[in-house]
Formats: sequence, structure tokens, C-alpha cells
Amino acid sequence: MNCADIVRSFVDDAAASRSTPQAREHLDRCPGCRQLVAAVTAAGPDAPVSSSAALRTIERELVRDLHPVRRIAARRYILAGFSAVFLCAVAFGVYRLGAFGLAVMSPIQSVAILCALVLSAGLLAWSLVNQMSPGSLHRLSPEVLPLTIAACLAVVIAVLFHFYGEDHFWVRIGNCLKMGTPVGLLAALPLWLLLRGGAVLSPKLTGLAAGMFAGLAGATALQIHCRNVEAAHILLSHLGLAVLASFAGFLLGLIAERLGTRRGRS
Amino acid sequence: MEPALLAEQVEAERVEADEAVLSLDRWMGRYQEGDPNAPGVLIAAISPGLLRFFRSQPVSREQADDLLQDTWLRIHRVRHTYRPGEPVLPWVYAIARRARVDGYRREMRIAAHEKPTRPDEAGPGTDPPRHEAPAFETLIAALPASQREVITLLKVSDLTLEEVARATSSTVGAVKQKAHRAYKRLRELLQPEEKSLP
Repeated sequence: MNCADIVRSFVDDAAASRSTPQAREHLDRCPGCRQLVAAVTAAGPDAPVSSSAALRTIERELVRDLHPVRRIAARRYILAGFSAVFLCAVAFGVYRLGAFGLAVMSPIQSVAILCALVLSAGLLAWSLVNQMSPGSLHRLSPEVLPLTIAACLAVVIAVLFHFYGEDHFWVRIGNCLKMGTPVGLLAALPLWLLLRGGAVLSPKLTGLAAGMFAGLAGATALQIHCRNVEAAHILLSHLGLAVLASFAGFLLGLIAERLGTRRGRS
Repeated sequence: MEPALLAEQVEAERVEADEAVLSLDRWMGRYQEGDPNAPGVLIAAISPGLLRFFRSQPVSREQADDLLQDTWLRIHRVRHTYRPGEPVLPWVYAIARRARVDGYRREMRIAAHEKPTRPDEAGPGTDPPRHEAPAFETLIAALPASQREVITLLKVSDLTLEEVARATSSTVGAVKQKAHRAYKRLRELLQPEEKSLP
């Protein structure tokens, strides 16, 4: 046994492995590990507690406002709600704008890009469902998920579509952003209502994910509608809409967080 | 103590802890149903751990008490978001963590707007904030905030890796990595002049 094994035994919470003869032998020889074991073991739960009067005051406060509450819905129902919001926003967008893009893309391009967009929205929806309930277990960190999704979608678009120069590049991007934004906004409102049913502990992170989710609804509608299959156009306008929306969501979350802190102070 | 005996003791403690957690789950359910006895039981069971969590940070005793009260008010507001059958402690600590972050920001804002009071201007009976930091707390103060938080939750609040991952909205892998780095750093801090022994 060596110092790395002692460190690992703490990470694995394997107290028994520090009592083996090999471990004892190492601890006898190694003052650093001996001190580490002593310091971490001393961190046990024996700190002073608050006065019982203070705890009773808190209890009185809570009991005064106590009434039965309706529990948050099961995850699958909230997920179904997010899915419905996404599908309705995309359907409305396609109904208003038309589905000209499907005729231009090859079947492989259509299936791959739409699957990637829907899968990304699904992952974000699942992350949002977990963010609504504190203490949920995240398989993918909510901090890196939006960034990972944006990067993966960029790769998918770059692989599926070709880069070629086109006239009026920025004008077309502007047009697409203008058409996709109302679809994103349409998804954002019911999304916000759904999120209000939970407890959002980090408005910044939730805003980032929710913004990207709404933006992806707009991007999906644009992908179905837009005849332009140039890779740079799709990256900057369709995926760009999702990135801009996530940025907007992050800013709104930041404002909400600051206001929440100020309100707490007053 | 013999390894076998130690393992038995650890197992017995784990069973006891599981029973306590199940009991907390039941009381949370009753709290949601509006049982007036539930807040008292939950406060008595969870507050000591929460206080240890707050006091392991560089805050005064009074600030820790304020944070405890703030946390319970937040818990009360969002009690509907607890799902029966899920672990109670990560849910509580996720809220406590948020309360601590907001409390810290408030303190920073106040500190930025207020002029520091010179010691001779302090009124009579004004106690300076007490930093009752035992050796472990002094030691972990040298760690980055995220690693310090993980170690505090693991060792002071006695949560498991999965519970810490739940409380910090992170993944188990990320928590494990942070814990490993933190213990490694602590080991280096305790004996910086010597290299690891084989």
C-alpha cells in the first residue's frame, strides 16, 4: 500500500482498507498520510448545534404557514409537457412557414439532422426536469450539457452539409433568425410556466438550458422550412438561433438570480 | 480494531443510517400533507448537519444561524418539490447550498457598500465574528471552493458520493474526481517536503 492507495481509500469511503496490516505499516512509515487520516477522521459529525430556542423559532415560523401541498408531478409527466411544448412550437412554425427544406435535403440529411435536433431537445428537457427538483441525480452535468449539445450539433451539421459560398449570406441569416425567433418565443412562454412548478435553484443554468430548448424548437422549424442547405448558413442561423436563445436565457436567469439575492437581503 | 470487526461496525452504522433516512422520508411526506408535528421532527433531525455544513465555511456563528433559518424558509417554500422515495438529505443540502451562495453574495454586496469599521469605533459589546475553525477546517480552507464543498459534504455532513452529486447538481464521476484531487492536495499540504512513499 502507498500514499495513493490511502487517498483512494478516502474517495471510496473504504475505512476498513485503512485498518489492514499493509495500511498500518504504511501509516507508521508515512507521517503525511498519518496526519491526513487523523485530520479527516477528526472532521466527524460532532460540531456544536444551534440553541433549541432558535430551532423552536424556526419551527413556529414553519407551522404558522403549514398547509398540505400538491406534490410536483412525476418526471415522466413533466417530460411529456416539455415534449408537447417542443412539438407544438415546431408544428406551429412549420404550419406558418412551410416545409420547403424537406424537399431540398436528402433523406439521410433530413433524418440525421432532425433526429439530432430532437435528441438534443430531449436531453435538455430531461436536464430541466431534474433541475426543477433539487437533489436530482444528473447523468450529464447541467453546466456542460448546453455547450456539449451545441458542439455536437455543429459537428453533425458540418458533416452532413456542404460549405459553399453564396450571395447575400448575412441577409439570409438575418431572415432566418427573424423567422425562427417567434417560434422560439412561442416555446419559451409555456416552458417558463412549466418551470415555475418546480424549484429552480440556479436560474442561470436553468435559463441557459431552457433558452437552448426554446431555441432548438425554432431551429427545428427553420430546418424543416429553409431551402438553404449551405453548412455555414445552417450553423450561423439555425444553430445560431439556439445559441442566441440560450444566451438570452442565461441573461434572464442571471437577472432573476440577482433580483432574488436583493429580495433576500431586504 | 480488527478489520472484520470494523467492517461489521461500519455495516451496522450503515443499516442504522438507512433506517434514519427512511424515517426522514416518511416525515417529509407528512410535512407535505400538513402534519404540524413534521416540521419539528425534521428541524431537530436535519439542523445539526446543516449547521455543521454552514460552520465549516468561513462564516461567523450568527451568520451560520441566519443561513440555517433562511434554508428552512426555502425548504418550506419548495417542499412540494420533494418526491417521496428519493433521498431527503441531498434535496435539503441542494437548497442549503443555494442559501449559502446567496448569503455569501449578500455579504459581499454589503461589504462593498459599507465602510469598514475601525476597531476603536466599534460599539461596546460588539463581538467580532467568531471563526471557530478546527484543524480540518483550516486545512480545507486551502482547497478551491468546489473541492472544499465536496469534502465538507462528504466528511462533515456525512453524505455519500451519490448524495453529494445530487446535492451539487453534478455527476458521481465529477464528485469522485474532485474528492480525489482534494485529498491528494490535502496530503501534499500536510507533508509538502517529502514525496509520496511507496
